[in-house]
Amino acid sequence: MALKNVRLLIVFMFLLFGTANAFAEETATAKQIVEKFQSELIAVMKDGKKLGYAGRYEKLKDPVANSHDLTKIARIVVGKEGEKLSEKQQQKLVDVFSQFSIASYAHNFKDYAGESFVFDSEEETTRGGVVVHSHLVIPGDKPVKFDYMLKEKGNSWRIINIIANGVSDLALKRSEYTTILQREGFDALITKINEKIDNYSKQ
Amino acid sequence: MNRPQNGNSSVKKHPTFSSLLIGVAIALGGCATTQAVEQSTLANKADPYENFNRTMFGFNDSVDNYVAEPISNAYKWITPQFMQTGVFNFFNNLKNVNVVINDVLQAKFSQSAEDTGRFALNSTVGVGGLFDVAKHVGLEQNDEDFDQTLAVWGVPQGSYLVLPILGPSTARGIPGAVFDTAANPASYIGMPVQLVSMLNARASAEGALKFIDEAALDPYVFTRESFLQWRNNLATDGKAEASSDVDDLEDDGLNDAKGAADTGKNLNADNKELKQASYSFNTVAQSFEGTAKLFEDAGGKVDKLKQSKRFK
Repeated sequence: MALKNVRLLIVFMFLLFGTANAFAEETATAKQIVEKFQSELIAVMKDGKKLGYAGRYEKLKDPVANSHDLTKIARIVVGKEGEKLSEKQQQKLVDVFSQFSIASYAHNFKDYAGESFVFDSEEETTRGGVVVHSHLVIPGDKPVKFDYMLKEKGNSWRIINIIANGVSDLALKRSEYTTILQREGFDALITKINEKIDNYSKQ
Repeated sequence: MNRPQNGNSSVKKHPTFSSLLIGVAIALGGCATTQAVEQSTLANKADPYENFNRTMFGFNDSVDNYVAEPISNAYKWITPQFMQTGVFNFFNNLKNVNVVINDVLQAKFSQSAEDTGRFALNSTVGVGGLFDVAKHVGLEQNDEDFDQTLAVWGVPQGSYLVLPILGPSTARGIPGAVFDTAANPASYIGMPVQLVSMLNARASAEGALKFIDEAALDPYVFTRESFLQWRNNLATDGKAEASSDVDDLEDDGLNDAKGAADTGKNLNADNKELKQASYSFNTVAQSFEGTAKLFEDAGGKVDKLKQSKRFK
């Protein structure tokens, strides 16, 4: 009888740990999110010429949206100026900003010359974020450091900021966006972003 | 593939210096205008002379559009790629003299040995620097200059300044550039070489300028932020805290409130000192504005010239 109990316990524990493992596999780590996105980006670069701008945009749409927290990024880049925006304006900003982010990936990663991303290290920040350090190897050129800052969203991780060779994309955008909002207002900001998206699509 | 030109993450620089500037702004602003002045200063702690700088940026932009870019394009058109690379390598190799000096001044002795080896190898095997042989044996070009040395020595960066023709700099960058020019052998060769050096510099900057043109919503702010971050990243050899970056941005409201409180304390403590400082800042700002006006006029003239050319 006792033996049977032990067996039952083992089976039960196996089941318990088994399901726990399955769960762990479902929630991707920050590193996995970054590496998945990087490999998708490289894949698009490889087909870049064939796809053309529109093709690259379509192919990158989901990978960018699934790895970046575009809503949060759009909220951070307008800073305190964002408080002055109506709900409709905020939604508009998130939409246009998301398009702009995908468009700049589609424009800047247009072809492939043997580049590859290499993972360096991962560190936790004081406030529950994770920074994934990696670099892009470019044949015949200096490598470019890419540091990704991620935050937890739901049960997964999302990229909030990319620091390329020490230049923080978020800080840069934030200075630009708040300056334009202060000097020229919301409509001018949206017009400017749309102009940039337009230019990207033409090249 | 286009890439952003470099930069750095932490925009926190010299708390005492910037809080001094904010203090000055408040002292100058008086009651009625305090709100506006404080706000604009808080947005650009490192850029108190934004109006002057924007004018200068506009001037440089027109000079680049009408003079530097056409000449640089002509240079690229008539010069074969291998020669352009050779010219780039030649000047880059001479710059290694500066790199080695600044390595030593920053007590980076093993790096200085590497860079000396790099310079020796390229000057001999690389035919006077025309070929970058050192890169192929794993000696990468390091980027050191006197501005970085001053940063390592603890000199604060100071205000962001856009200089005529020379472009973005900081208060600390000016003595840095003077020292580096004096230490670079290329400075003593003579005029035609200087001209080629300038052409080479403009041609090498092409990619970065194109990137700014494509990506920037506000080219002035984009250039300022990426320049300051890039310089800070170089000065700290990439060790600036990238991680705290977002957290700082996220509770910006909180930080600002704290900053303002600190400023208030400073103001009470060193009121007299601040008043003196504000007076001298005021004078400097005035002379800057005078110069800015001059450049605005000059920029306008260049524009007119271009127009009259077009109509002929």
